[in-house]
Amino acid sequence: MITEALEPHQPLLSVRDIDKSYGGLRAIDGVSLDIKRGEIVALVGDNGAGKSTLIKMICGALRPDGGEILLRGAPVSFGSPKDATDSGIETVHQSLGLVETLNVPENVFLGREKTFRVFGLFNQLDLPKMRAETRRLLEKFRISVPTLNEPVFRLSGGQRQTIAISRLLLSEPDVIIMDEPMAALGVDEGRQVMDLVVNLRDQGIAVLMISHNLEHVFQIADRIAVLKNGRLVGVVATAETSREAVVAMITLGAA
Amino acid sequence: MSTTTADVRAEDGKSIGSADRRFRLEGLGLTLVIVALGIIFTLINPRFASVDNFLNILTQASTYIIVAMGMTFVIAKAGIDLSVGSTLAVVTCVFFGFIDDGMPWALALFIMFALGAALGAVNGLMVAFLAVPALIATLGTMVAYRGAALLHSSGKLYHGLPPEIVWLGQGRLFGIPVPVIMAAIFVAFCWWLFNRTRFGLHCRSVGGNREAARLAGVPVSRIEVLVYTFMGVCVTIGGLIWMARIDGTQATLGTAMEIHVIAATIIGGTSLFGGRGTIYGSLAGAILLTMLNNALVIAGVEFFWQLVAIGVIVVIAVTVNNVRENRIVWLDTLRTRRNQKSRRARGA
Repeated sequence: MITEALEPHQPLLSVRDIDKSYGGLRAIDGVSLDIKRGEIVALVGDNGAGKSTLIKMICGALRPDGGEILLRGAPVSFGSPKDATDSGIETVHQSLGLVETLNVPENVFLGREKTFRVFGLFNQLDLPKMRAETRRLLEKFRISVPTLNEPVFRLSGGQRQTIAISRLLLSEPDVIIMDEPMAALGVDEGRQVMDLVVNLRDQGIAVLMISHNLEHVFQIADRIAVLKNGRLVGVVATAETSREAVVAMITLGAA
Repeated sequence: MSTTTADVRAEDGKSIGSADRRFRLEGLGLTLVIVALGIIFTLINPRFASVDNFLNILTQASTYIIVAMGMTFVIAKAGIDLSVGSTLAVVTCVFFGFIDDGMPWALALFIMFALGAALGAVNGLMVAFLAVPALIATLGTMVAYRGAALLHSSGKLYHGLPPEIVWLGQGRLFGIPVPVIMAAIFVAFCWWLFNRTRFGLHCRSVGGNREAARLAGVPVSRIEVLVYTFMGVCVTIGGLIWMARIDGTQATLGTAMEIHVIAATIIGGTSLFGGRGTIYGSLAGAILLTMLNNALVIAGVEFFWQLVAIGVIVVIAVTVNNVRENRIVWLDTLRTRRNQKSRRARGA
């Protein structure tokens, strides 16, 4: 990816004054947000605050009515999630998107399998290569799973979630958007996923993460963006704020 | 999984794949059942354990083995094909019709395979593009194809194939019946196709989670059409061997074949709920069923009892699978309650 041209402190992804309405309802109203390389920004807010709408516009699932999205300083317009993926923005949705009956390398490489030619005629899956590359990918992000060649339904929820995320890392994205990555996971399992998210940041990936769990947010996020009724209440650095202040922003909408 | 993050931390990634089994013994249970049944049948009737009878069983099984290969792909894709017996009747009757009209056998063979693939593709098109559930789509074609076979043959008993074709069913190579050799080669090919190709992987992914497969970029509809087309080709090969073996056919050939083939596949461990299957299992399942039939015939049991036996076996096989995959809710509830009780007893 084109990283050299970037100033170190220039935001990787910027949302400028973005709007989205459903009929008469302004779901997102003039929101601006910057995310830098190697930073975790948590998006918090009550139900219906517009968090999902905002990330859907960034990941190409929805088109904004107004405003613009800048990636590496250049304006982008995504017609579909595939456009966003091609530009280096990957999204982890709430449902895992794994085929639970397939094993880990098969899941990671599904839809972009490595093959080689047999007798110059048939394409055969290169299982050793897919397995080795999966292993390298998991090592790079310090993801540990006990088995690679068992169906993934044998793995724990946290392990499955990390596999679902690692699938996206294969294309070496610059930005990863996550919708409640730790939802419905136990404490240890949530820990595993959080470790991975921190690793992603340390590898220089920009992470935008929706979470309802302030405990998690305060543990890993660098900055917290609070939405209420489609408006951005404020963005605060985690180190310079308290949980009470953030709760007040979520409920009262006051910075 | 009770492992905590602390003890599976990936230091140098050593724990990745650390619990992978080097040797997977999935088909072992079924193999043992086959061996055990073989011993029991031999004890009852020593005639069972002859090389001739063994080759005879494999020859009889060859058609079922080949069709069960296709069925493994279809069921792993979370589909089902009830029309296999009827398709077999149509392609063999049409082939014989052409032969009787004096067409060269090579051309007739080519048309037979094209027809088999087309009949399968009709099932696939209905499932993929009309969203007809596979059970209903193939139930419909099961009846329709049988009707077509009866119309085409108008009740005729076909007989008299060219010697080249008869050889495929009755010939021997190095003392081994040709159908057995063909089945063996086909099984090897299907193992490769199922486990080592994009097509096989995509079948299993569509069966495991259709939506996730679609999102990952698997051409779901194309796979669905292809898998039923492949099923049609398998049926045609199986039909070719069968009619060559008996040097004849009629419109009722292959009646109740679907239940035998589905039984073989499910006994082999292919999940009816899709996503998982094994080629070896389907092979072993087909051999097991044929062996059972053979033993029942030697024991002089009526054919109709064999149907009863097959029906019972299918239900048992599915039940065993469900128990193994924790799919029976009340059993799971019982287990949970028992665990809670024993934990409370220990606590007190």
